[in-house]
Amino acid sequence: MGDRRRSQRLLAVGLVLVGLLTIVAVAAPWLTPYDPSAIVVAEYRGPEPPGPAHPLGTDTLGRDVWARLAFGARTSLVVGALAMAMSLVIGVTIGLVAGYFGGWVDAALMWVVDLVLTMPTLLLLIVLATVLPPSLLTIPLVIGVVGWTTFARTVRGEVLSLRERDYLVAARALGASHGRILVRHLLPGVLPGVIALAALGMSGAIGLDAGLSYLGLGVPLPTPSWGRMVSEVQTYFGVAPWLVVLPGVAISLGVIGFNLVGHALIDLLGDRRA
Amino acid sequence: MTAYFVRRLARALTTLFGTTFIVFLLVRVVPADPAVSIAGPKADPETLARIRRDLGLDDPVLVQYGRYVAAVARGDLGQSYVTGRRVTDVILDRLPATALLGLTSLGIGFLAGLVAGLLTAARRGSRTDWAVLVASLVGLSLPTFWVGNVLIYAFGYRLAVLPLGGYGTVRHLVLPAATLALGVFLLYARFVHTNVAGTLASDYVRTARAKGAGPVRIYVRHALRNALIPIVTLLGLDVAALMSGVVLTETVFNWPGLGRLAVQAVFSLDVPVLAGTVLFSAALVLACNLAVDLLYGVIDPRVQRG
Repeated sequence: MGDRRRSQRLLAVGLVLVGLLTIVAVAAPWLTPYDPSAIVVAEYRGPEPPGPAHPLGTDTLGRDVWARLAFGARTSLVVGALAMAMSLVIGVTIGLVAGYFGGWVDAALMWVVDLVLTMPTLLLLIVLATVLPPSLLTIPLVIGVVGWTTFARTVRGEVLSLRERDYLVAARALGASHGRILVRHLLPGVLPGVIALAALGMSGAIGLDAGLSYLGLGVPLPTPSWGRMVSEVQTYFGVAPWLVVLPGVAISLGVIGFNLVGHALIDLLGDRRA
Repeated sequence: MTAYFVRRLARALTTLFGTTFIVFLLVRVVPADPAVSIAGPKADPETLARIRRDLGLDDPVLVQYGRYVAAVARGDLGQSYVTGRRVTDVILDRLPATALLGLTSLGIGFLAGLVAGLLTAARRGSRTDWAVLVASLVGLSLPTFWVGNVLIYAFGYRLAVLPLGGYGTVRHLVLPAATLALGVFLLYARFVHTNVAGTLASDYVRTARAKGAGPVRIYVRHALRNALIPIVTLLGLDVAALMSGVVLTETVFNWPGLGRLAVQAVFSLDVPVLAGTVLFSAALVLACNLAVDLLYGVIDPRVQRG
């Protein structure tokens, strides 16, 4: 089918975007001679358009935009990865336990999932970000605590379908403990599906982090972040449109990249199982 | 039907009860002493102690929670630390602006998405499917606040045909509504496309066609009706997601709604207003989900037994 080739192409584009972003994030200090927080113009005469000295121009404080974008990639990826890992651990654990034990345990945990889904995500994030002093660790924590429900639901569904398989019945008959069955037998079975969700989770976390930092509730200064780059300069849109356009493009590329990878993986893995 | 509805209602109410607990927990740990927020940082210790006693902050946590739930049940969400106004009144003041923005964008985005999805489903095939998928994946990845800013630049600044922000006339509504509607439109265009294209390819549609049913009848009676169930479900789930968009869009356009209220409350540490807004939004989402569940039972009698 053409569907498979289509998914493979989406996956390739997604991986290229994610790869480029990762390279920029890792190699940021070698890709630019400037400190992202330092004022690099000798004499400030307003934001400078892109030119030979500053490939993407300078911002409203006279800082190098390319340096800020490159180091901002670090912030975005670190926050995204930590948040996604957090959601993954919470979601997979809750999904495994709910699916395996069933009964009232399942009912109670799924009620919690409903509860979290009912809370408006960004509002909940805003409150949490206010409660915890914002830092490179608390922001992912906050996003992770809100974003685990998809993992839990999917893993629970997978476990329900795996539960009655012969090898699990055998393991139970041999007297394996609950912990052993969960970790040794069920966890490996659900992991492939989780990888696709992890990519989507990354995409969502990068988007939410951008939203939070746009509102001024993200990772605190002086760490450069893409969302705040937009809010810092939006009143200058008329004189220096590139200052608003560039960070937005960066956020979009990050979100699109992981989104493509996730969607393509879901299609490809679904194909394989069918 | 009644049993189904009662079950759904009971679940919604228990969930609402759960949200009061989460909101209460958050309010308890927000690191702002309400007494200081009300009386100001220069207040003497006796005044602070008196305010704390009046607010019942010295009582055990469970007692405070019970009192909170009882107050919420009466529709009393407390008083703003900053202005002293009843939070319920503050929220009701801001609600029309948010409702106007949210309903306009949901309505326009949904209808446009429905039409686009149906039109593209008629021309289904790998090329069209691919275009719809990529357009929607890319479009939905653009950050709301950024789309808003780009629209302000294009229509407010460059073309200078629409106001840069604010509230009052239809002209003020155009850009924020377009910002929010874009996401809704892309989501539904893809969703309707996929679902209708799926049903159009199914056996019973082939049978209907073989029996001589015209294209309009096939679309309306068969494809659309069956695709409606997942579409309505998504509509219910979408309300929660729309709230996030509302918060950002209202901030970008200085739109005096609930989202902006919440963001302002964060920066002034106005905990009751913040907590009230969150609780209110959660209740709104629950009400919408409940409405969808009901609608669901009407569209598809099969679900009542589930």
